[in-house]
Amino acid sequence: MCAALAAQAQTLERAEALRKAHNYEEANNAFRALVKANPKNAEYRVRWGRLFLERFNRADAASLFQEALAIQKDNAGALLGLALVAADSYESRAVELAEKALASDPKLVEARELLARLALEDSDPKKAIEEADKALAISPRAFDAMAIHGTVDWLDGKNDSPWFDKILAADAHYGQGYALAGHISVLNRRYEEGIQFYRKAVEVQPDLWSARSQLGVTLMRLGEETEAREQLAECYANHFRDDITTNTLTLIDSYKNFIIDKSGNIVLKLHKKEADLLRPYFESELKRALATYEKKYKLQLTRPVQLEVYPDHEDFAVRTMGMPGLGGVLGVTFGYVVAMDSPSGRPPGSFHWASTMWHELSHVYVLAATNHRAPRWFTEGMAVYEETAVSPEWGDRLDPHTLSAIKNKKLLPVAELDRGFVRPTYPEQVVVSYFQAGRICGYIAKRWGYDKLLAMMHDFATEASTPAVIRKELGMEPADFDRDFLATIDAETHKIIEGFDEWRTQVKAAVALSHAGKHQEVIERTTPIRDVYPEFVEQGNVYELRAEAFVALNNKAAATTELEGYAKAGGRDPAALKKLATLLEEAGRPVDAAKALDRITYIYPMDPEVHQHLGTLWLDQGNREGAIREFTAALASKPIDLAASHYNLARAYRSADRPADAKEQLVLALEAAPGFRPAQRMLLELSR
Amino acid sequence: MKRLLACFLLTVLSAPAATYYVTIAGLGGEPDYEQHFEMWASDIEKVLKASGGEAKIETLKGPAATRFAIGALLEKIAGEATAQDVLVLMLIGHGTYDGVEYKINLPGPDLSATDLAKLLDKVHASRQLVVNMTSASGGSIEALKHSNRVLITATKAGSEKNATVFTRYWLEALRDPAADTDKNDTISALEAFRYAQQKTANFYETQKRLATEHALLEDTGAGTGVRTPSADNGNGLRAAAFPLLRLGSMQAAASNPEKRKLLDKKEDLEQQIDKLKYEKAAIPAAEYKRSLEALLLELAKTQEELDK
Repeated sequence: MCAALAAQAQTLERAEALRKAHNYEEANNAFRALVKANPKNAEYRVRWGRLFLERFNRADAASLFQEALAIQKDNAGALLGLALVAADSYESRAVELAEKALASDPKLVEARELLARLALEDSDPKKAIEEADKALAISPRAFDAMAIHGTVDWLDGKNDSPWFDKILAADAHYGQGYALAGHISVLNRRYEEGIQFYRKAVEVQPDLWSARSQLGVTLMRLGEETEAREQLAECYANHFRDDITTNTLTLIDSYKNFIIDKSGNIVLKLHKKEADLLRPYFESELKRALATYEKKYKLQLTRPVQLEVYPDHEDFAVRTMGMPGLGGVLGVTFGYVVAMDSPSGRPPGSFHWASTMWHELSHVYVLAATNHRAPRWFTEGMAVYEETAVSPEWGDRLDPHTLSAIKNKKLLPVAELDRGFVRPTYPEQVVVSYFQAGRICGYIAKRWGYDKLLAMMHDFATEASTPAVIRKELGMEPADFDRDFLATIDAETHKIIEGFDEWRTQVKAAVALSHAGKHQEVIERTTPIRDVYPEFVEQGNVYELRAEAFVALNNKAAATTELEGYAKAGGRDPAALKKLATLLEEAGRPVDAAKALDRITYIYPMDPEVHQHLGTLWLDQGNREGAIREFTAALASKPIDLAASHYNLARAYRSADRPADAKEQLVLALEAAPGFRPAQRMLLELSR
Repeated sequence: MKRLLACFLLTVLSAPAATYYVTIAGLGGEPDYEQHFEMWASDIEKVLKASGGEAKIETLKGPAATRFAIGALLEKIAGEATAQDVLVLMLIGHGTYDGVEYKINLPGPDLSATDLAKLLDKVHASRQLVVNMTSASGGSIEALKHSNRVLITATKAGSEKNATVFTRYWLEALRDPAADTDKNDTISALEAFRYAQQKTANFYETQKRLATEHALLEDTGAGTGVRTPSADNGNGLRAAAFPLLRLGSMQAAASNPEKRKLLDKKEDLEQQIDKLKYEKAAIPAAEYKRSLEALLLELAKTQEELDK
């Protein structure tokens, strides 16, 4: 029996030794053999699971931890393993699992350190310190607990914290402490400082590949692509090939397909397949946004802003990998670098690119003004607020999930709102938190004035907490603020919430009637509920249902009114807006028709027909520059009828008294179609 | 090669012949498809009739589109058509391919591509266009290939079995003057193919859906359809010269002896322009531009005279 135990111990030791020597394949084989020989041993499965976790395979790691729990339901190591898996993806149950692990083994210092880290990720330094102290009470060599202390000191502005030196004094090659500080820095969007911490981490422990990978990723986020590639390539060469490392390297490689335009204080990075089409729109909107924000925030940026636009959503997604609360986002800001989806990267109408751009650019200013010290809720709230400040038709609408959260009292207190972004407790909480943060900023601007928001922003720059800033600037306790704010929200949404169930029932019935072609009944069914939930402009909205019915009943005037309501409420479906433009044109309202088409260029500027049509309308209305822009866009969107597109641009140039440019376009039109009569006629006229 | 193409096209345009258009809408299987197939067939018929000319237009749809009726119609055309005539056959609906044989779904027995090819072979029209817009239509190429036949299929193979959207855009090509990209008042088979192909690709791209159809064109008789016909792969020459739909008054000008001289000059200029474009890569850009502009200007003046 003693011999058997010895053999067992040797095997576990060997497996762990192989793991420590980065010989993962052999370690995996050793663990597999160990588990096979000892099917009832929970601990072996836990150790094997930790190997999987270390090698970026969370799914198999979790399975092994679950198997261990099936053998021993309160196995502390397995519970901790599951907590680590959950923590990796910012799941709220990480805390619960870590606490269960501690309940099973109160001396499990790693679980206590994890709780400290989770608290700090949730912007709760007080709890983080408490947990770190408990860990240190268990083990004076709890290095990560020391790092938590050091990080909290740093967050408090104490740059001479002794904690990191204490770690190095005990172990001169322990880089994980600095890596933890780097992680928290990045979560707080203090990327420059994150890079500094990660640099220290790899300086003391050069083979800490996870830290080197994060160093590369963070450098890349700030546009430092050359060094980012070097760091990541080194990780890759040393077999550290997690998703973020490989995907970021792939993304950097794909940059050869992008065109970079530098102009004044902007750097615009567009994919070459759509650069010609998008550049005029993005450039002008970018300049307009920067000029507006410079005045609003009373701040002049000291560095150029770089905007990256990704036609492939998967490329954009690499930019947000490993970041909490960014699943499904359309744009992301890293200091002066903004990355976003291209309008071509999503189905038409699914997002408003200009609104997204203004949102992200607001971040650039708020982060610059506060030196990245504003809490998440304030940064996002300002950005959401700014979207509708540009135009009431922009920004996201009040969606059913948010209505449900309001109804069920799920909005968070302002002092805890960051939690809704970082560690949501229900799937829609991030979206709800965006809405709430935006409404809070809107509420403050309305009640106390916009300058109060600026004052709060400057307070946050001094690292003041949310409660402190609310007390100072709004003169009330956070709880009182929450009470007043929620009362306002309740008053604003009361009617919708009360009528929501009936509205939903009737809309569902109206959709069925519409499919059955019973148009008069659609009108009758939707008339009583038409104004119950006017902000709903998604698929199945009342405006489009009624407009379609009115068109079928040959009442185009009423259909036009419905679609105008849809556009005003923020409706974004290009097909519906095109329909509106057609109806307006038929009604002899070409100026309004042009406005309807112009809206589409801020949503989905990829449709050549929209550009041709808008260009023609604007040319007729004497908007020559607008017509030139639209016909140029039509050409850039690779139209089927190339000759007609060149000809239209020639018409616009001629109208703008640019005959040489017009002639050049005519030659191009006739090169494609030598017998194109209108182009021939104009060429003759210009040549006489 | 391009010069030869231009000559061929002009010959076609100045020697009018009867065009037989046959549109078949097969079995839908369910009301939605049934409705769409019949509607597309009716709309194609309307467009063809609206274009005027001497076209002979036949449409079989719904319960009438049986294998027997198709056979009888093509036999009838075989008895009438001469070698100078043109036949355009458009197939709408669902198709199947079992790895060996393609069939279009019809009320009653289905029609195989092999049987259809036998029927088409009896038609003396020396230029034939078959536009098979059904699902799995790529599976019909091998059986339908012929040296005098332009084939267009909505799918690249018999294995693309999902219902297609290509028909919608083929119809749009017939309706939209923008499809006439060279502005010669005639939509060629190649122009309509490119139009419908690009619109179909855009549909899947904008909807962020995986494309389940990839249209092909085959006009060499070799049976190898291509997605991008060009001089490089040898496909597209015959399709470019195939007048699918005439939009303007080309025939009127060709039959007026007073304008014949001007028309000859115009044709000569067009050939010179074509030659210049063919040699573009070998000519300095400024010289190319200067020569092109001069030729285009001369062509415009000639056209102005013709239009008087």
